Amino acid sequence: MALSFLLWAPLFFALVGALLGRRMAPKVALFGSAVTLGMAIYYIADFDTGKAGLQHVTDTVWIAALGIHYKLGVDGLNLFLLTLTTLLWCVATLYAYFRQWDRPQLFFFFMGLAESAVLGAFLSQDLALFVAFFDLMLVPFYFLIGTWGGRKRVQATTKLVIYTLVGSLLMLAAAIATGVESVGNSGQISFALSDLVRVGLPVGTQEWIFLLFAAAFLVKMPAFPVHGWLPDGYRAMPIPVVAVFSAVLSKVAAYGFIRIVLPLFPQAAVHFQELLLLIALASILYGSIMAFTQTDLRLIVGFSSIAQLGFITLGIFALNPQGTQGALLQMVNHGLVTAALFFIIAVLAARVGGSEDVRDMGGLAFRAPVLAALFLIVALATLAMPGSSNFMGEFYILLGVFESKLVIACVAFTGVVLASVYMLRAYIGAMHNRVGAKAQSRELSLRDGVVVAPLVLVIVAIAVYPQLLLKRQQASAQAAVAQTALLTHQLALPRATAQTAPVLPQGGQTP
Amino acid sequence: MSPTTWAWICLALPLAGCLFNAFVGRHLPGERTAGWIGTLAIGLSFVAAVGAFIALMGHSPDDRTFTSTAWDYADSVGVNAKLTILIDPLSVYMMLVVSGVSALIHLYSCVYVWKDRGFVRYFAYLNFFVFSMLLLVMAGNFVPLIIGWAFVGAASYMLISFWFRRTTATRAGIKAFVINVIGDVGLVLGTYFIVFRGSGSLDFLDTFKHVQAAFPPNDGDLVAGCILLLVGAFAKSAQVPLHTWLPDAMEGPTPVSALIHAATMVTAGVYLIARMHPLFEDATAAADVGTVVGCATLVIAATIALSQTDIKRVIAYSTMSQIGYMIMAVSASAYAAGMFHLFTHAFFKALLFMAAGSIIGAMGGEQSLDKMGGFRRALPFTFACFLAGGLALSAFPLFSGYFSKDDILALIGGEGGWHWILYVLGYLGAFVTALYTFRMIFRAFLGPECKEARELRETGHIAHHEHPFNPETYEEEDTDVGFPGPGHYIAEQQWPMKVAMSTLAIGAIFGGLIQVPFVDDLVNVYLRPDFVNDPTYEKVINDPSNGLLIFGLILSAVIAIGGIGLAYVIWVRRPSIAVAFRERFRPLYELSFHKWWFDELNDAVFVRPGATVGRWASNVFERVVIDGLVNGTVSVVRAGSSVVRGAQDGFLRVYAALLLLGLALVALWFLLQST
Repeated sequence: MALSFLLWAPLFFALVGALLGRRMAPKVALFGSAVTLGMAIYYIADFDTGKAGLQHVTDTVWIAALGIHYKLGVDGLNLFLLTLTTLLWCVATLYAYFRQWDRPQLFFFFMGLAESAVLGAFLSQDLALFVAFFDLMLVPFYFLIGTWGGRKRVQATTKLVIYTLVGSLLMLAAAIATGVESVGNSGQISFALSDLVRVGLPVGTQEWIFLLFAAAFLVKMPAFPVHGWLPDGYRAMPIPVVAVFSAVLSKVAAYGFIRIVLPLFPQAAVHFQELLLLIALASILYGSIMAFTQTDLRLIVGFSSIAQLGFITLGIFALNPQGTQGALLQMVNHGLVTAALFFIIAVLAARVGGSEDVRDMGGLAFRAPVLAALFLIVALATLAMPGSSNFMGEFYILLGVFESKLVIACVAFTGVVLASVYMLRAYIGAMHNRVGAKAQSRELSLRDGVVVAPLVLVIVAIAVYPQLLLKRQQASAQAAVAQTALLTHQLALPRATAQTAPVLPQGGQTP
Repeated sequence: MSPTTWAWICLALPLAGCLFNAFVGRHLPGERTAGWIGTLAIGLSFVAAVGAFIALMGHSPDDRTFTSTAWDYADSVGVNAKLTILIDPLSVYMMLVVSGVSALIHLYSCVYVWKDRGFVRYFAYLNFFVFSMLLLVMAGNFVPLIIGWAFVGAASYMLISFWFRRTTATRAGIKAFVINVIGDVGLVLGTYFIVFRGSGSLDFLDTFKHVQAAFPPNDGDLVAGCILLLVGAFAKSAQVPLHTWLPDAMEGPTPVSALIHAATMVTAGVYLIARMHPLFEDATAAADVGTVVGCATLVIAATIALSQTDIKRVIAYSTMSQIGYMIMAVSASAYAAGMFHLFTHAFFKALLFMAAGSIIGAMGGEQSLDKMGGFRRALPFTFACFLAGGLALSAFPLFSGYFSKDDILALIGGEGGWHWILYVLGYLGAFVTALYTFRMIFRAFLGPECKEARELRETGHIAHHEHPFNPETYEEEDTDVGFPGPGHYIAEQQWPMKVAMSTLAIGAIFGGLIQVPFVDDLVNVYLRPDFVNDPTYEKVINDPSNGLLIFGLILSAVIAIGGIGLAYVIWVRRPSIAVAFRERFRPLYELSFHKWWFDELNDAVFVRPGATVGRWASNVFERVVIDGLVNGTVSVVRAGSSVVRGAQDGFLRVYAALLLLGLALVALWFLLQST
């Protein structure tokens, strides 16, 4: 089955829905997202585990003069991100299906367009194509926030536009530079990643291009200190939009590091390893500290995402297979728990008259044991309790960092402890203690249950068997960091010999 | 059946019970069905543990180590995380203690929380707790160990804040959870040091096999790893300075306290050190840390217990103190002695908590010793049980604690050198133990009868306060919030409580007989295959000279009787002494009453600075730096294009324009570059 079907199916159904009118649009969109999810699951079933390279490749020349290919492919790096994307869109569409929207055709059209764009970014095996999808995916979100957003939506959209625009332009420049600089002796320009990776760019060139890409991706994640768009943005988005936005769009950036930056600019990645690790560490600590001072539940989740993405960045820039495996696993885990948390926030808000402030809540578990149990599972997974898949993700990530930079790993562990503080604080504040003045403890309704429960089921399933992902990612993860791992090893060698050399004579003197 | 098959059954039953109660418990007919099902699951689990024990004993002593792997949990890029269980004498020993005592606690709970509206939830949690602990003691790979470790922490969190509408309970829950997460971090980081700097395999047996080749004795990485494992053990076993969660954990229902203190949870640290003994043998520096901390804890906790007025907190500090003895023992290579004390302690501590639960029931939820008194005649059965538990705890001659505590201290003394200090402190602790235990017993059961006791004795009515209150703060609550709820019970009137307590009382009185000096040696012999390759084990087992053992037995007896006698004088004969002492030695009393100010210290060092940084970050940094960065840009854009405001399609136009502008700039830059 050609990957193009998977890629364009959401947009196709969105268009059909929009043309059929306001009554049919939600139904068609829901059907379309389910079909897309089915196709993504088919690719897991059909995946050849042992293979590191691309599978199901589609490759046609798109713009010959510029060497741009329409090249799609699946491997261990993006396999589960595709599933995550389609699953979350399916659930978000289901959530939206049960609610009334202004101009539903447009709403569901933009949702479909966004899904296609995100899938495009994950599937692209051509740098120019990736950039095109990366920019395209933001357009529907501007409209979704600007039109259907909550309070201060104009300000939020403006901030988001400014930040992401800067990021996009930096990346565009970086992509063009990569293509142009890679022309080299052959004289043939190509943006296909498989061609670019064969060209070893000079170290100096690698370094400045790396910085441009890193800036673009870090804004998108977001990482400290370029996260200024996040608080307003997250508060303004409608729930299904913020769920997919926070769960999936941040992963496109992290994925970009693994898919593009590490293989194409290995020397630069090694050169800037410590800088990126420190930014990741700052994100973890700052995000965690902010998360436990906030009272708005969306902001608690938002800042915890900054911390979690800090962990993912940490894993990527451990530059070894352990870190990459952890980062890949954690991307999926984080997407699942964040989306589930946003849907739960909506459920909670409905019980306290629409407020999302934890101070207005309290005691909501009293008459709602099912809601309390689901929320507790998600909360414990978010704080990466051992036994959850998030724990295995962090275990691999921190192991990767432990093996490359011991001190950073030790400091990063404080983030693990802080996570338990802010997540339980949020859980207890909302569900436990005395029942708040405006609060009404009510059990989860069926239409909310069908949205939250599948996500919790998937979270539990991966918790029982994370090997499902790890096994299929292994070969690709090893290949993605093969060069950087080799380089860090080489760089580490002189240091090790320098250390052992003076030690030996001393050891000889003692007896 | 092979021992591992029995073990899997033993592990699966509590999980099945938990899931069954969680999903269908609320819809079962009958008032207490969920409780009976939970109890049955753990009871059968105990039977399976016995099955594993019998199957294990069918093999020769050299051949009693079995492993079995359920599935590859997360096995890739050199991290062999598999769900493996390791069944050998040590793990079967723990399985028996855990499932056996837990089954009795379940039985007791069927009555104790009967009228609580969370009855079904309670049993689902309780079964989950036992499942977690069994997973912990069966794990044969670091990853399932860590999972069991964390599940125990999560289960304790859920049960401590079981009455979740009490703010005191939720605060105690989060405290327990966070301190346990600190322990988890220690365990994970310790695993990194030991496995990924040395043995290269997460499997226990592989690690133990390769540890000597991988590390020279007292190698830095190994010692660091072992100390980090100890951090995990201290957090879970409530050792100084990570102990502050344990007394607060008394917010949970009383049977939960029994479960946490006797069978599950706090013994995990002791088990961990015994399980990891091949590592600690090579990292003696780390083992010494454990020995000293255990000893410090036993002394500190004993002194705190002297002045507490909440009956459950006195018992809680006694647990801390007794676990201190065990940690000290296993850290000083006296593994069998430590495990023996763990066994006897499980009986008498569970018994003490159950008896305390009966008194608290009779008091209608009140827990303060100040308000109790004279329950001797109103609660004769409870009194007898409390006395049996108290005598065992005080190491009164021939009671179970007498033999096990003496075993530990004789071996510590036998080590010689600086261990003599620990030996003396250990006996000092034993004296204080007898003192505070009987202070509690005399104040609750002797002396003038309080009105609840008199009413119960004369009319048979259990006290029930008109306005339910939180025993911690005396805040008024509605009946559904927590104990005592609409109904509460005492052992005298309920057979399940009686059965559970009688069984434990038999264990508390006679449990020590399995290892009596010069008579029998069952624990040592049974556990020997686990430690047979361990040079210190053989030395330690054979070493305590007969003189030291006999001297210890006599000294113990004198100390226990002396302590009880002194308690009798102070709290029964001449109560004025206690008041006079309190006035005369104010600072000492304050030190004990304020629990050595550990909570205040934590607050000043971690909590308040953390909160201050957080406030600064959100009020100043985020607002000024992060927002300022963009707000400047925002106002520029806003001034430049009023199109943005209001009109949605404006965004796209601006975006497209800027994108083109950017493209043009990039093109221009390349043009300039090429010329």
